[in-house]
Amino acid sequence: MQFSSSLLENAVNEFARFPGIGKKTALRMVLHLLKQDESITENFSETIARMRRDIKFCQRCNNVSDADICSICANSLRNQSLICVVENLRDVIAIENTQQFSGTYHILGGVISPLDGIGPDQLQIESLVQRIQKEQTEELIFALSPNIQGDTTIYYIQKKIKDFNCRITTIARGIAFGGDLEYADELTLGRSLQNRMPVDKYISH
Amino acid sequence: MFACRHIALTQFRNYRFESFNFNENIIGIYGQNGSGKTNLLDAIYYLCFTKSSFNRPDAQSVKDGFAGFRIDGRFEKNKEEHKLVCILRENNRKEFLADEESYTRFSEHIGKYPCVMIAPDDVSLITEGSEERRKFIDTLLSQLQHDYLEQLIAYNKILQQRNSFLKFAAERNNYDEQLLEILNSQLLEKGNFIYERRQQFLNEFLPQVLAQYISIADKDDKLSLEYESQLNNNTFEELLQQNLQRDLYLQRTGTGIHKDDMVIELKQTTFKNIASQGQRKSLLFAFKLAAFETLKTIKGFAPILLLDDVFEKLDEKRMENLLQYVCVQSGAQVFITDTHKDRLQQSFIKIGKGYNLIGL
Ligand SMILES: Nc1ncnc2c1ncn2[C@@H]1O[C@H](COP(=O)(O)OP(=O)(O)OP(=O)(O)O)[C@@H](O)[C@H]1O
Ligand SMILES: [Mg+2]
Ligand SMILES: [Zn+2]
Repeated sequence: MQFSSSLLENAVNEFARFPGIGKKTALRMVLHLLKQDESITENFSETIARMRRDIKFCQRCNNVSDADICSICANSLRNQSLICVVENLRDVIAIENTQQFSGTYHILGGVISPLDGIGPDQLQIESLVQRIQKEQTEELIFALSPNIQGDTTIYYIQKKIKDFNCRITTIARGIAFGGDLEYADELTLGRSLQNRMPVDKYISH
Repeated sequence: MFACRHIALTQFRNYRFESFNFNENIIGIYGQNGSGKTNLLDAIYYLCFTKSSFNRPDAQSVKDGFAGFRIDGRFEKNKEEHKLVCILRENNRKEFLADEESYTRFSEHIGKYPCVMIAPDDVSLITEGSEERRKFIDTLLSQLQHDYLEQLIAYNKILQQRNSFLKFAAERNNYDEQLLEILNSQLLEKGNFIYERRQQFLNEFLPQVLAQYISIADKDDKLSLEYESQLNNNTFEELLQQNLQRDLYLQRTGTGIHKDDMVIELKQTTFKNIASQGQRKSLLFAFKLAAFETLKTIKGFAPILLLDDVFEKLDEKRMENLLQYVCVQSGAQVFITDTHKDRLQQSFIKIGKGYNLIGL
């Protein structure tokens, strides 16, 4: 693609960095900004820059947050002794969308997979174990990918907390057949959150 | 009757676009070397197994200079027509559709459209390492028992994870014992399942191979076949424990069902070391025909038989017996390739049943 302005070209290149955005789409976005008032672009860049600069990760659950503790953790109406263990932020958003869950979360940042170079140390497992001990958590609900690595992670955490008085359940993991939680539709996800089952039942399948 | 009635190949290997009809149950395919006979059989195999019978990446089956391929097939099963489509997209993503529904997991398809292929390279089953023999058993068992394939896939994934774990451990000179225990228990569960299934199955299957061999070779050569597994003498759990230091040192898992084998002996000597070419071929056919019979019995209908270049493999009398069996007794739809049109035609005329002859 040839441009008469390197300013334009640079902007297009920046947009094209996004996953799923090619040069053509990037150009459309930039041209769209050009058509509008200058202030709109300024506001846009400032919002993005501020988001990146000021965003925090909740010290309790690793969720994104404006403060040291996220709004979910800070909400006293939510059941603080119930933790739903998820892989990433997108899972939190998917589950929140169902409006069927009123406990808290713990974001692991992935699942154990030595093949991908991810051991327990790379994940927020130790912080979870400490959190359960400190907060005397009553129930842990696993909402991890229904695959071998998800299993490994559940067993591992289960082993780590076996001496604590914490119930462990998992949501019916057939729901997302081979995919991520984000693909499960809200209704099935919501239902499976209510019909969760003890881990050992799931394991012996 | 279970049969493939039609196939259309688009940008598959040497075919730009070509379609074939098979309205009979005996199909002869003739053509010179390199004319595409094996490719046509492999296309049928693709539709039965969602992949090639050769251990090659899908992308290599795309016709040179093109992007993506497509195989369309029409099958008859229990008097019903089924459409199977295998598509490799331009970006090398594979799709597989059965009656217009795409599978989320290809493994779901395995066993629904059973087929047995006999090809020249298959003697590797007898002459090469244990991997070939495991592949043979696994391919057969996967078609017979759906949960077997699932457990096997899971076993292999856990094995890879455990091997990576061992590599990590060696690099860091230190490892997470609890994680190893978890990986071990996951591996054990799948491994024991597979071991039991293989043992049960081979107990019945190997004697059938022997019987087939005796009938093909026309004499008892003092052949013995045995399932060999480290798990025959120790539990998998003990094996993993005993081998831990060695596994850590070698950075891979040295025990388990991924080391299983079938021991083939002739007069108490390793078969491949003393068997003649003819004996090898007889044994290969014995394995394949026993697989065919087992599938037929359990499925309740005969799998499709794909015979590639078998004329080159047996003497005239054996060939005649074999053709009589596959074309008449077996009850299967059979595809046979040959470079000689006349030889094929003569044989078919002798059999006296309807046939299609396709020249490439
Ligand atoms: N990806 C591909 N693109 C184009 N041509 C291909 C591709 N892969 C294989 N071929 C061609 O297909 C031909 C081989 O076809 P095939 O193996 O089916 O032949 P055959 O009739 O079985 O021969 P033979 O009698 O020697 O066994 C070769 O000429 C080879 O070059
Ligand atoms: Mg060939
Ligand atoms: Zn939080």
